[in-house]
Amino acid sequence: MKNRMNLAARHLAAAWLLLLAGCGQGTAQGGLPLRIEISHVVGEAPLRLGDSYKTGAGDSWSAERLRYYLSNFRLRRADSTWFVNPQSADSSRGYFLVDEADAASKQFQIGPIPEGTYSGIEFLVGVDTARNGAGAQTGTLDPARGMFWTWNTGYIFFQFEGHSPQSSDGEHALTYHTGGGADSPARSVFLQFQTPVQVTADNSAELHLYADLSRLFDGAHALRPATMPTAMDPKASAEVADNSAGLFRIDHIHKLPKAGLAQGR
Amino acid sequence: MTAHSTPRLQVPEGWPAPRYDFAGNPVTSAGFALGRRLFYDPILSRDGSVACGSCHQQFAAFAHLDHRVSHGIGGVNGKRNTPGLFNLAWQPELMWDGSVHHLELQPVAPMSNPVEMGGSLALAVDKLRRDARYPELFAEAFGSPGVDSQRLLRALAQFTGTLVSADSRYDRFVEGKEAFTPQERDGLDLFRERCASCHREPLFTDFSYRNNGLDAAPRDAGRAVISGRDEDRGRFRVPSLRNIALTAPYMHDGRYDSLEQVLDHYSGGVQPSPTLDPSLAGGVPLSPDQRSALLIFLDTLTDESFIHDRRFAETHD
Ligand code: HEC
Ligand code: HEC
Repeated sequence: MKNRMNLAARHLAAAWLLLLAGCGQGTAQGGLPLRIEISHVVGEAPLRLGDSYKTGAGDSWSAERLRYYLSNFRLRRADSTWFVNPQSADSSRGYFLVDEADAASKQFQIGPIPEGTYSGIEFLVGVDTARNGAGAQTGTLDPARGMFWTWNTGYIFFQFEGHSPQSSDGEHALTYHTGGGADSPARSVFLQFQTPVQVTADNSAELHLYADLSRLFDGAHALRPATMPTAMDPKASAEVADNSAGLFRIDHIHKLPKAGLAQGR
Repeated sequence: MTAHSTPRLQVPEGWPAPRYDFAGNPVTSAGFALGRRLFYDPILSRDGSVACGSCHQQFAAFAHLDHRVSHGIGGVNGKRNTPGLFNLAWQPELMWDGSVHHLELQPVAPMSNPVEMGGSLALAVDKLRRDARYPELFAEAFGSPGVDSQRLLRALAQFTGTLVSADSRYDRFVEGKEAFTPQERDGLDLFRERCASCHREPLFTDFSYRNNGLDAAPRDAGRAVISGRDEDRGRFRVPSLRNIALTAPYMHDGRYDSLEQVLDHYSGGVQPSPTLDPSLAGGVPLSPDQRSALLIFLDTLTDESFIHDRRFAETHD
């Protein structure tokens, strides 16, 4: 079970960040990594695989499997320039495969981040077109991980599998996959920091992101299991992709001293 | 294995630049030999019964002779006709509907198709890791120990990507090395006039997706499955016509057994439909003389040295 920060702690963290926000700007390319932790929730409660939830329209749903790629992280500086998280053509560095069933996959680091003040974070839910169209990959992008379509070659960007009594599919299955190359269903997400984040030689930060699965159904599009039990083809998966981008919010950010980073992953 | 027995991707004169870039996967003799071995090894299928080479036969220019649609594991039929394999490095996309956009990733499709090889990439990698011989061959091919899916797919691409067919009678005619008979010449002229807008020289395809009028209401949606666009219903990749005399049956579903039937289709059988290519509306009328000239011309596209090239054979030197 994840230990979530209460409201007071959140304010404390924010105050701490404010304090740091006046420090000098580092020039070194090195720097500390930024840690990102992801929790899957439904509203405010932690998502539990197999539990039943209700949508705004009154449909019931449960999740059995939730996996997706996050990539192309960027941090926005106070002066509107960007720090672009390095990715490498020879490895899957910078491409993260988040899996609800794998705790380790929900905590990762980007960077190293140059010292400076940052006002927000951007990332892609999915894999960029260039990488999606490149050849055989390794690591998190190894097609043998099963996040890969063979009938329409390319990565599965977002994979939600569960059940809904309203679904007309066999065993009331609910299958939402996005992927495919032609009109990319990768979606960009930008999250503004409530208070700027300061990265110094001695301190970095941990971003705790919440991905709220209720917004998969009650998002930019209202998805009804009765009319859309399956989304796999490019047209249907575009709506799921739009909604997948709306899942994320920053729950809190806290200070992460250099010493704390060393003991983490 | 000597260096000279390893093919390299050479771009024939007058051909466009290849789409597959071997710079990221340099062909070596050990890599090519590994790719060839894998291509002919049923270890890549779930129960060890079907190899790539079971469906893609060299004597048929790597198509599947006499099989309308593919015939895979457990004798189950697939839904599409097995195409010949050659000049794949030039293809921007693969498969009849262009569903595969990269040569290296193509094998994932048959390996995990329940009616083809019935397994999965992960399963194949696992079997290769536990095999007595393969770990050593992978180390030789890639310079360090390790069997993974990237190396498996790159080795296969070293084989499939170097299958170049560019030595037909037609090629030797174009190079000025051989003369055409008057009838072959008539056939070529007619082909350029009626067929080459889609089957464009020198690869004999413009790589577009078109509906050539097989059905008024296509059963297989073809390109539309991939693009999600209605205007792509019943459209399929324009296939190359190189080695066409060897790759019967014809069309995405293998409906025609002979080239005569194909010409019957173009001259009198084109079905109107909303996505029919406008250039084929009304068909392509052909007199008996024109038909025989076209057939004789299509025969000049057979590349005997390709289908007898020992380097591509299951049992090589
Ligand atoms: C059961 C028969 C079967 C087996 C086994 C098989 N293929 Fe195929 N192959 C096909 C069929 C059928 C197609 C066309 C599929 C389509 O377009 O939907 C095809 C298409 C291809 C293509 C694309 C050709 C083009 O012009 O677009 C390549 C490359 C290929 N196969 C290579 C392989 C390799 C490598 C293997 C082994 C890993 C393999 N095949 C195993 C039947 C088979
Ligand atoms: C409008 C474009 C177009 C024109 C013009 C055209 N074709 Fe085709 N041809 C296609 C397409 C598309 C296919 C594949 C259709 C399918 O399988 O659904 C095809 C398939 C074929 C095939 C079967 C190839 C195989 O591997 O199965 C042959 C042979 C052929 N065409 C010969 C010709 C000849 C000869 C002409 C001129 C009389 C011609 N075509 C004119 C688009 C065209």
